[in-house]
Amino acid sequence: MELSAIMKDKLNAGDNVVALHEGVLLQGWSPKAHRLLALVERNLSFGLFVFTTSRNPPQAFTDLTINFVVPIDSDFKCDIDSLSAESNSDIYINLSARNFKLFMGMDSGHETNHFFNELSRSMDLYLKNQQTLDFQWLKKYNINDIDLELGLMMNINGDNTSNNIITANMAVAENDISFPTGTQTLSSRESVIQRQMILSEEQYTNAQNFRIYIGTWNVNGQPTLSSLNDWLTCDSEPPDIYAIGFQELDLSKEAFLFNDSPREEEWLQAVTKSLNSKGNYKKVSLVRLVGMMLIVFVKNKHMDHVKNVATDTVGTGIMGKLGNKGGVAVRMDFHNTSLCFVNTHLAAHVEEYERRNQDYQNICSRMVFSNFIPPKTVKDHNQVYWFGDLNYRITEMDAISVKDLVRKNNFKNVLEADQLKQQHRAGNVFKGYKEGSINFLPTYKYDPGTNDWDSSEKNRAPAWCDRILWRGNSIKQLAYRSHPNLLISDHKPVSALFESEVRVVDLTKYRKIHEHIMKKLDKAENEYLPQVMVDNTEIIFHNVKFMEPQLKELTVANTGQVPVQFEFIKKLDDSTYCKEWLRIEPFMSFIDPGEKCDITLEVLIDKKSAYKMISGQDKLYDILVLHLDGGKDIFITVTGNYERSCFGCSLETLCYLKVPIKNIPFGKLMELENNKSNMTSDPYPVPKEVWYLVDHLYRHGLKQEHLFEHSGLRSEFVQIRNWLDNGTPDALPGSVHSVAEALLILLDSTSEPIIPYNLHATCLSAVSYYSQCKQIISQLPERSKNVFLYLCAFLQELLNHVNDNKLDVKTIASVFGEIFIRDPPRSRSDKSGHTRTSMSRKKTNFVYHFLVNDQSDLIINTSF
Amino acid sequence: MAKKTYDLLFKLLLIGDSGVGKTCILFRFSDDAFTTTFISTIGIDFKIKTVELQGKKIKLQIWDTAGQERFHTITTSYYRGAMGIMLVYDITNEKSFENIVKWLRNINEHANEDVEKMILGNKCDMDDKRVVGKSRGEGIAREHNISFLETSAKANINIEKAFTDLTLSILNKTPGREPTDVPEKINIDRKSDRLSNRCC
Repeated sequence: MELSAIMKDKLNAGDNVVALHEGVLLQGWSPKAHRLLALVERNLSFGLFVFTTSRNPPQAFTDLTINFVVPIDSDFKCDIDSLSAESNSDIYINLSARNFKLFMGMDSGHETNHFFNELSRSMDLYLKNQQTLDFQWLKKYNINDIDLELGLMMNINGDNTSNNIITANMAVAENDISFPTGTQTLSSRESVIQRQMILSEEQYTNAQNFRIYIGTWNVNGQPTLSSLNDWLTCDSEPPDIYAIGFQELDLSKEAFLFNDSPREEEWLQAVTKSLNSKGNYKKVSLVRLVGMMLIVFVKNKHMDHVKNVATDTVGTGIMGKLGNKGGVAVRMDFHNTSLCFVNTHLAAHVEEYERRNQDYQNICSRMVFSNFIPPKTVKDHNQVYWFGDLNYRITEMDAISVKDLVRKNNFKNVLEADQLKQQHRAGNVFKGYKEGSINFLPTYKYDPGTNDWDSSEKNRAPAWCDRILWRGNSIKQLAYRSHPNLLISDHKPVSALFESEVRVVDLTKYRKIHEHIMKKLDKAENEYLPQVMVDNTEIIFHNVKFMEPQLKELTVANTGQVPVQFEFIKKLDDSTYCKEWLRIEPFMSFIDPGEKCDITLEVLIDKKSAYKMISGQDKLYDILVLHLDGGKDIFITVTGNYERSCFGCSLETLCYLKVPIKNIPFGKLMELENNKSNMTSDPYPVPKEVWYLVDHLYRHGLKQEHLFEHSGLRSEFVQIRNWLDNGTPDALPGSVHSVAEALLILLDSTSEPIIPYNLHATCLSAVSYYSQCKQIISQLPERSKNVFLYLCAFLQELLNHVNDNKLDVKTIASVFGEIFIRDPPRSRSDKSGHTRTSMSRKKTNFVYHFLVNDQSDLIINTSF
Repeated sequence: MAKKTYDLLFKLLLIGDSGVGKTCILFRFSDDAFTTTFISTIGIDFKIKTVELQGKKIKLQIWDTAGQERFHTITTSYYRGAMGIMLVYDITNEKSFENIVKWLRNINEHANEDVEKMILGNKCDMDDKRVVGKSRGEGIAREHNISFLETSAKANINIEKAFTDLTLSILNKTPGREPTDVPEKINIDRKSDRLSNRCC
């Protein structure tokens, strides 16, 4: 099926695929994470879909999973970077939208051009029609699936540069929902879980309204009153949360210089006593900087849902540091909603509104809750309540007019001249904040102890210095008022009551969704384990013959999502990853997703392994362990049958074989090899195979130059081997060189050499004395002795023809020395070059004795 | 940077005769799915699953082994390091039950001494084909002081419980065990396990 048709099945009816393209996610650690991008249209509005495919190419719509859907709107951006040398992909694209960033590589080509033409057309169309476009259709796609790589990518971006931390975090903050992160640094998996939990918050939280009481009072350094009930308990219904701010709590030098004040405790007591008695409250936090103090109380029953409480203070006084002005803040997570309370005392003096704006900016940027990673600022909260003596005054209106108008409750005209209203409207301060309408008298400046306007000679215009603002969704102000009956200060206290919507976690739903996300992540983690398919786990080699290599291929295909490194590993007590007769090429390699690797297995039974096969010490059977780095192990069984051959048989066994070896059952052969057979017939004095080969050389090779020096042909060796093993009436095939080599191989393939391993050392130490050497030969097992003397006699005959064959006795002695006196298997490799040369010389000398001396005395004693 | 995605890491192992349903049990637990096609496990495979028990996030790494006889000597080298082993037999297969004794012996020879064991009689949905009575399973479990459950990967009976029980019994005897922080470590351990495992 055409890809676009498959895609259409996946999409809701009426949504049209405009263009399609495949790309590769680029993030360094997983080079081949393919994603399918589709531009989809409905009623002239466009969305970009990101798919993963479980099969490539996809066969049915079930092979497609939607990872992300983003609307092509004003937040959507697409940068194309072509011809980058870094990657195989010809172009890089950088897509970003709300909550979404994607960096991909693509091949450039006709299709790519088409895709980006359509994409830019869709972006143009948005600009033209944005008023009328509706993107609701995109919401019908269920994107609960986690794309681990996309998720991690956001996190990886976050890890790389501090710039991106903000980006990644903004993506979350954009959603206007934050999540308690605590102080712990989080791993990628943890942050993916968090991100997913944040995205699905709606599904496990319910909106619930809580009453929040905010109070602020500049107490002008006065000692506390016995009761603050008029201010704090003016509502009959007790609020859920109290946040109470003071300014000029203490004007003493001590407070200013040492930030130490007995007033703190006094006012805390007074406030605590005056909280609504119908509620049972617990103090969440108290923070004070010189005269600015903020206390937050929560109803006892809500305490379990208050988490991650933190405070910070910012001084904006002289030098931008001292705490006579500035702010104090308390933040907390209440259920699943983050709250921040900011109590500030901004710069004084009528004309200084710009300094007040600056103080506000200063507090915004410097108020940081640094025990969070990344640290949180005021704006990183779902709800912010900002209050205090903000100190904005009435300008452009004289004191008499103000007093006159407010007396007539005509606040509207006066508020027109309020600096805060003006600055707020102009966007110079408190951007994004709201303030309720003011229907109370200015709160400043009174003669302390009275409700009379300031009677000092300054004769300032009354002003609403003390204000309460808020930021966040679903906050309803129920009341905003001043409390003129509290007379001690030149300011009046102000309070506001809010009904605020808080996301309350439904634990059952939360657990369910959390579990669901964990499951998805486990699934993703399992899917990202290395996965391969091996086309064959049972390799069978049929009819393996001596010295004839056989090859089999094995294909390992990377069917997973990540690059795979494989290696054949040792098992149990083995010292190698496979038997000596097997070779694996390559035994270790990398495979990229979607790629394959062909592995060649070569079986070769040579002189080192043939005798083991004949005697049953070993067989053509091995289990290989193919290990995937960071993943599973696959067992590959190698089996086969070995065709018996005289090569590898002991001379003893061969002497008993009167018929070609092919006619001897394997079991019988094994019995012979292990000396378990009671052969009745008389054995040959020397194996007929040795005799055939020597006889052939005797008849055809005496005058051949370089006999035993030139190597034979592999193909002729195979013919000779077959002739010996099968017994055919034809003449022995092959050149004399091949026959000579076959003779050497035959003698070299036995499990024990003619001079048995146990006599090896004795033999080498005896080389200087011919008589001792003869002594050793006379002690050999009968068949070995026969073969030795038989061959020496033949070699002497050969050396009688040196005029024709130009052979050198030393050379021949050296060739046969290595054959007759074979080194024990374990010692061969660990001898130094020097020792080896001296050993070779000794072996040559040994054989030399028998080539230049008459052996008749020895021969007479044999059964020849 | 401290990376702690889970509090504990437990390595579990599934062993038992070929065809008793070890892979299906694992597949049911990790993917909550079941497939009827029988593909013999040729090797050692694992899956991970995170569970939360007693307020702890526990990452389970569950190893599934080849049950075929010819692989037995090789698979025993994977026992080392397993903290929990599930011995699985098939209630419709007498031989697989008789072999439990052999598997237990294998565990004694090759696994850690303090490994938690559990016997599972799988395919308990196939009561009509049952040849091993539940009491026999309970009997052998009691005899060796091991917990026992009859399970069905197909009908999803007791699978979750089996893993939860085994994990809990490991959890309960390892109160102070430090979390293994780096998942990559497992593989290194595994390799060195195999190289140093000279117990056979």
